[in-house]
Amino acid sequence: MTSSGPTPAGAPQVKALNCPSCGAPLTLRSFSQAVTVVCDSCHSILDAQDPRLKLLQTFNVETGEHPPLIPLGTRGTIRGAPYEVIGFQRRTIQVDGTFYSWHEYLLFNPFKGFRYLTEYNGHWNDVSVLRSLPLGAPGARTLNYLGGTYRLFQTCEAETSYVLGEFPWQVRVGESAEVSDYVSPPRVISSEKTGNEITWSMGEYITGRDVWKAFKLAGDPPQAIGVYENQPSPLIGHVKAVWKLCAALLVALVVLIIGFYSTAQNQQVFSQSYSFNTNGKTEASFVTDVFELKGHTSDVELSTHASVNNNWIYLNYALINEDTGHAYDFGREVSYYSGYDSDGSWTEGSQNDSVTIPSVPPGRYYLRVEPESDYYHGTLYYSITVHRDVPQFSFFGIAALAILIPAGVITWKFMNFEHLRWAESDYGDSSGGSDDNNTPGTAAAIAGGIGTVAALIEDVVDLTDE
Amino acid sequence: MRNAFLIYGIAILSAVAFAEYRGWSLNRVDEVLNVPKSVRDNPGSYRSVYGYYHHYTGGK
Repeated sequence: MTSSGPTPAGAPQVKALNCPSCGAPLTLRSFSQAVTVVCDSCHSILDAQDPRLKLLQTFNVETGEHPPLIPLGTRGTIRGAPYEVIGFQRRTIQVDGTFYSWHEYLLFNPFKGFRYLTEYNGHWNDVSVLRSLPLGAPGARTLNYLGGTYRLFQTCEAETSYVLGEFPWQVRVGESAEVSDYVSPPRVISSEKTGNEITWSMGEYITGRDVWKAFKLAGDPPQAIGVYENQPSPLIGHVKAVWKLCAALLVALVVLIIGFYSTAQNQQVFSQSYSFNTNGKTEASFVTDVFELKGHTSDVELSTHASVNNNWIYLNYALINEDTGHAYDFGREVSYYSGYDSDGSWTEGSQNDSVTIPSVPPGRYYLRVEPESDYYHGTLYYSITVHRDVPQFSFFGIAALAILIPAGVITWKFMNFEHLRWAESDYGDSSGGSDDNNTPGTAAAIAGGIGTVAALIEDVVDLTDE
Repeated sequence: MRNAFLIYGIAILSAVAFAEYRGWSLNRVDEVLNVPKSVRDNPGSYRSVYGYYHHYTGGK
């Protein structure tokens, strides 16, 4: 994101001068560090190290040119040190006939030197020149720097299209450099190649609000549009935290399951076998002996086993509280069919059935049973068993889903963010790049997302081990 | 977000614990109040909600 580094000092200090072209006053803020200075009245680029301010270049400014968002001369605090905005330039690239521009603000501190703020579509980076080289050749797919791995995001030819203020290098409008960005959010390493010279710089994503706060600017910063190359996902910390919490909640749920299964009564309170003559002329309905349901209000599981084969039996049940007359009315059909056809043997239904009656208060109960079937089935045998306080796994399953779904949604949103990031890459699906070795953006995003999720799972496993 | 998810998770666990303790079920069972005690002596006098259920006589 930067051009060549500062030129060694040696020129006389220039404090207040006038433009030799238009006579407008010029202000130099970086003293002898300035190599070129731009007149903001006539847009002449002048040699700041020449006492006569030799004219180096003039350039035309389009009507409607927007002034810098941070005016030159504005002072702010970056990383605890005061800096002053002394230069501004716009860099432009062309992709498929469309021009894209970003802005660079040159900051100066007499003791700390230079650093830069870059802005594109409301996304900001705090950039400084690297003091040591990253591991990896320029143009490589990945770089390593201080233990971090940076992935190539884009390579482009950037042209300086507008300049303002002063610069510690020989700035010219129209000069170009090959810029490659390697990202590892929230950081980006950029290489800028001009001729045989390569300058490496590192940027760290900062929000417009932080920039506004640092420079005490009035109003609100421009809203960030889209996802920027090194913009940290707003969910990255949340994904990790939510999955860790999700694991803890699932462990708690398992403990809950074990607790309920081990403490539930699951007590058999009634069991009896019966026969039903389908051709009988007498009243089929009957009542069972009274049995007692103990403990707190809980469920009752009624199981029916019927020796049906290619027929059915239907049982009208009523679980009736002997004392209150409160009845739970339900019907169950037990049917079982089997046979053999051109597809082979088949079966349908079952000889067993069970049903859970929810929230039955303790008390003395009996069953009123009324069997039904076709009259020609003869005598059918069946048995009824009643259990009290039986754990219901369905609720635990629903609870597990309810815990997993938010974590899954957050992870999906995180991966979607990565997809949007890499869709803007030279190495993404939407780039239409000509490089056959390009990594597909979706694949890269998915790979990145899966890698992150895998790392999170490892963290969770480590947490569990601890 | 973490705290919100924690509260949500605790609410889920509390709800499932309460549902299990109270014996809730996904099944629907009709409840009939004030069944006369005479049903024990005359079971045929009770009219089941499901008395006219259409029975499936399945099989291929």
